[in-house]
Amino acid sequence: MLIGIPLDQKRNDTRQPKECSAEMSAHLDTVAKQRCKVSFSKVFSYFAPRLRSYALKQMGNEALAMELVQDTMSNVWQKAHLFNSEKGSPSTWIFTIARNIRFDMLRKLQNRKEDVCSDDLWPVLCEQTADTKTAPLDEQITLEQVGHYFDDLPVKQKKVIEAIYISGKSQQEVADELEIPLGTVKSRTRLALQRLKDMLKEHD
Amino acid sequence: MIKLHPTDSDLVDFVEGTLSPAKSLLVSAHCDMCNCCREKSEIFTEQLASKVFDEPEQSTSILSDFVNMFSEITEDEELASTNNNGILANPSNVLQQIIKNELRDSRNHPNLTKSDALYLDGRKFILPKTLIRFTDRLGEWSKLVGKLWQAQIDIGNGQLAQFIYMEKDGSIPEHTHKGNELTLVIDGEFSDGISQYDSGDYINLNSSHTHTPCTASEEGCLVFSVIDQPLYFTSGWAKLVNPLSNLYFKVNSGQSISISKS
Repeated sequence: MLIGIPLDQKRNDTRQPKECSAEMSAHLDTVAKQRCKVSFSKVFSYFAPRLRSYALKQMGNEALAMELVQDTMSNVWQKAHLFNSEKGSPSTWIFTIARNIRFDMLRKLQNRKEDVCSDDLWPVLCEQTADTKTAPLDEQITLEQVGHYFDDLPVKQKKVIEAIYISGKSQQEVADELEIPLGTVKSRTRLALQRLKDMLKEHD
Repeated sequence: MIKLHPTDSDLVDFVEGTLSPAKSLLVSAHCDMCNCCREKSEIFTEQLASKVFDEPEQSTSILSDFVNMFSEITEDEELASTNNNGILANPSNVLQQIIKNELRDSRNHPNLTKSDALYLDGRKFILPKTLIRFTDRLGEWSKLVGKLWQAQIDIGNGQLAQFIYMEKDGSIPEHTHKGNELTLVIDGEFSDGISQYDSGDYINLNSSHTHTPCTASEEGCLVFSVIDQPLYFTSGWAKLVNPLSNLYFKVNSGQSISISKS
């Protein structure tokens, strides 16, 4: 699956975040607009190993550390459109995502209920801020239009859409069932609706 | 004019995510109201981020893990061109469901159901962003003695957050704290024999402080506060209510209220 996508394996990138900030911003932009795996591989190769060192210190356990890295980088891949280079550097944005995930992971480990969650304190990845600018996707789609495009959705997106919209499950239930992070469910839903919209546009 | 702020070390702990959730809530709400602390937090966040990512990557031995991770993260995008599992019998039903659910979701949208203000005493109090997210967990307002009103938010973990509204000339009997009391002044002014406080002030008190908050302002005063132990009243008739102080400031069940012998 990784064919043709170089994960800078050989070169140790020793640059500091400031030195490659503009480059990483550009990569994130390409990820957001074109879902470009090559660009994401650049971001990933730079940040994932560094995140792992941070995560190991914070979680003190290899498995949890790698979970933190994966959740963080997964959000970077899926939410790249929420990165705003005018608001801060890529390293600050990625750090805040990792900090939020770590905060929630620790709460979960300590079995705290009805507690304060990271979104309450630092709404780094709140879709609302991005979404309020455009009309809800469903308002732009009409019933007959979508029908036969639905089958063209990727299997994973279709699964999530089916579970939520046919079985009426909550996003959290879907996440638990498929054993994927809640953020992944949300972004699959968003991507699916976006894709449907794009397909409609193409056929207009 | 805000005079009282969290310490720099509190701000660093806050942006690092190591401050307790209750304290984080207060610091976050304070930053909503205070430009200077918000800017500081942003700077501290940047500094932490560069510290975390400054270290050059060291080992390459776990690289296969990263290769797997990379493909797991990105495989979402693979098109289902060959796999037709899960074809839907009737796509238009699906869409009906989608629209129905989206409508339901939009009714549940936080911006629509969560109020950005509290209405009290015929006045509207605009809340800091952070606290707006908790208004749907706000309990009933109850009237206490001394022109005081209180509404609680359960933030879990044995900690209790509450809004307290003091009407004009309202006061809380003199008391001290067994644990910490953090208070953020949302709107209004009050004094407590230690100092004078104004909107936005972040007040951190512990067992070494004994105070008698009261407000003389025409407008009354709304504060948000978090305590981890019940208050202990120290003077006059209010001493009588110490055994009952859970009526004033309830703590989670399971914790008993002990009476000091002083």
